[in-house]
Amino acid sequence: MNRFDSEGLRAFLLDHLAKRRASQGRDVPKELSDDCDLLLSGMVDSLGLLDLMTALQEHCGREIDFNGLDPEQMTIVGPLCDFVSAQMAKG
Amino acid sequence: MERALWGGFMRSAEKFPERPALSAGGKVLTYRELRELACRIGATIKAHPEFSPTPLTAVFAYRSPLAFAGALGSLLAGNGYVPLNRTYPLDRTRMMLERSECRSIVVERESLPQLQAILAGFQRPLLVVIPESDDTIGLREQWPLHRFVDSRDLDPPHAWREPAISDNSLAYLLFTSGSTGVPKGVVVAQRNVISFVDYMVERYEITEKDRLSQMFDMTFDLSVFDMFASWERGAFLCCPSQKTLINPGKYIRDTQLTVWFSVPSTIAFMKKLGTLKRNQYPSLRVSLFGGEPLPVSSAKTWLEAAPNSILENLYGPTELTISCTLYRWDPVRAPAEAELGIVPIGYPYPGMNVLVADQNLNEVRPGEEGELLMNGPQMSLGYWNDLERTATAFVIPPGKTDTYYRTGDRVRRPVGGGPLTYLGRNDLQVKILGHRVELGEIEAIVRNVTGQDGTVAVGWPRTASGYGGVEVFLEGPPLDPDILRNSVASQLPEYMVPRRFHFLDHLPRNANGKFDRKAMLEILESGL
Repeated sequence: MNRFDSEGLRAFLLDHLAKRRASQGRDVPKELSDDCDLLLSGMVDSLGLLDLMTALQEHCGREIDFNGLDPEQMTIVGPLCDFVSAQMAKG
Repeated sequence: MERALWGGFMRSAEKFPERPALSAGGKVLTYRELRELACRIGATIKAHPEFSPTPLTAVFAYRSPLAFAGALGSLLAGNGYVPLNRTYPLDRTRMMLERSECRSIVVERESLPQLQAILAGFQRPLLVVIPESDDTIGLREQWPLHRFVDSRDLDPPHAWREPAISDNSLAYLLFTSGSTGVPKGVVVAQRNVISFVDYMVERYEITEKDRLSQMFDMTFDLSVFDMFASWERGAFLCCPSQKTLINPGKYIRDTQLTVWFSVPSTIAFMKKLGTLKRNQYPSLRVSLFGGEPLPVSSAKTWLEAAPNSILENLYGPTELTISCTLYRWDPVRAPAEAELGIVPIGYPYPGMNVLVADQNLNEVRPGEEGELLMNGPQMSLGYWNDLERTATAFVIPPGKTDTYYRTGDRVRRPVGGGPLTYLGRNDLQVKILGHRVELGEIEAIVRNVTGQDGTVAVGWPRTASGYGGVEVFLEGPPLDPDILRNSVASQLPEYMVPRRFHFLDHLPRNANGKFDRKAMLEILESGL
């Protein structure tokens, strides 16, 4: 696993969400399954999602172009991590 | 004879039965299909007159076909609609239902669990219409006080008869936040909306070939433009999912939208996600923004991505029906006419009258700032069951003979008849160490230095006479506060220079996507 493969990104997401939710006094997820929809599960609201996208871009050290990702998939852990990791592999 | 708000939809359904009327919740409904569903709902509600002692029906549905069919069905029953939103806190929804005194409610399947929670403790019998369910036996047994109608009991579409229309037939009741914390229910008449829609469809030359966005939830009155401007002309209303609202770029392209309407904040979001690149949205021919101040920089960014589009800034409180002034962007004129880096709100709609007044409601001279008061065919009926607050906001100014609505917004009408410029809320004027301070002015100067649109200034800390100083919240990566303060200090008197800057990835926003100043004050109160 490296920082920018799908698995590494998943670990980053989990860490970010855990910190954010802990700071809001909410329960902290232990794991994130591939099919977990972050928005519909209530893990984040729409602002939390943007916060997450910003954090992801900072983690990756560059802007990620989300044009190629279906917004319906953007909130689901597996497709989101796969997409960002593919973008990173492209360089 | 009075016209009905549903008249345009019915004419379009007659003329274009097989054209798409609505895309929502992954489904597309033709005009014929939407009319049938709406007529069934309307006929059913009308067949139970004992449940319409108040001419209102609640619609508990969110961005689904039933949300739209429910709103139309309420109108077809002769009632105004009261939109309820399952993404709101349950207590707020319960309060809205109770305060509205609705006795009929249309519910979608996804909102049923919340409805059950609301019914517990609800004292008045309700007519509950659930068109997506074919079995309500369990509900009937659990809640014997209420009358349930499922898909099997819905009246057929041909049972619908035109309801009588009067001058005061209601279009909708919407709740807006009140400065005292108790929401106000704004009652808008069908004739108010018809006046607005007539002007807008002509101005933008909407035709059956257009595809309009539906970015707003129905609990936000700007949604009314999308719905009724589309249906008036047989156009296609395209309602993206809740998830798509955050990053609608792909939706605009896939759906080939021609008319766009959103809050300006969406521009900042899309920019951040890299989805506002040059010429990305060539299909758009009309772009409208409203609901909050539109920064000049945001307008420019949008037009680079939508180069074939005109852009207009719409202004209007719910009490004046969706929007009542507008300003057409022009690349040369607009930046010159902007004030505080905000696009002007422009000129009133036909028939709407403007009064810019001082605190005694006497008209100020051109060039001076004052509170905006307006009246005309879009002035709503007032606040539901609240004569006191209606009388406070709907007033007859000295020397006038007719009623005006006090917007609480501060504007300037330039000398020589230029466009109205928006200067901020009346209540954004604060006293700092005895000085009168406009938070909007500080925001504009900070925005100018940082280039970041997401900038909110708040008075802090509170003192007996007002505030001890100003603090600024910024959306985006942290900047060196000393450099920032020095740049700002060179343009402001000392008492207006922000004491602290707070950098957040995202500024708190309220349910309608506007910056939530109260939440920012709470952050300061919590001592973070």
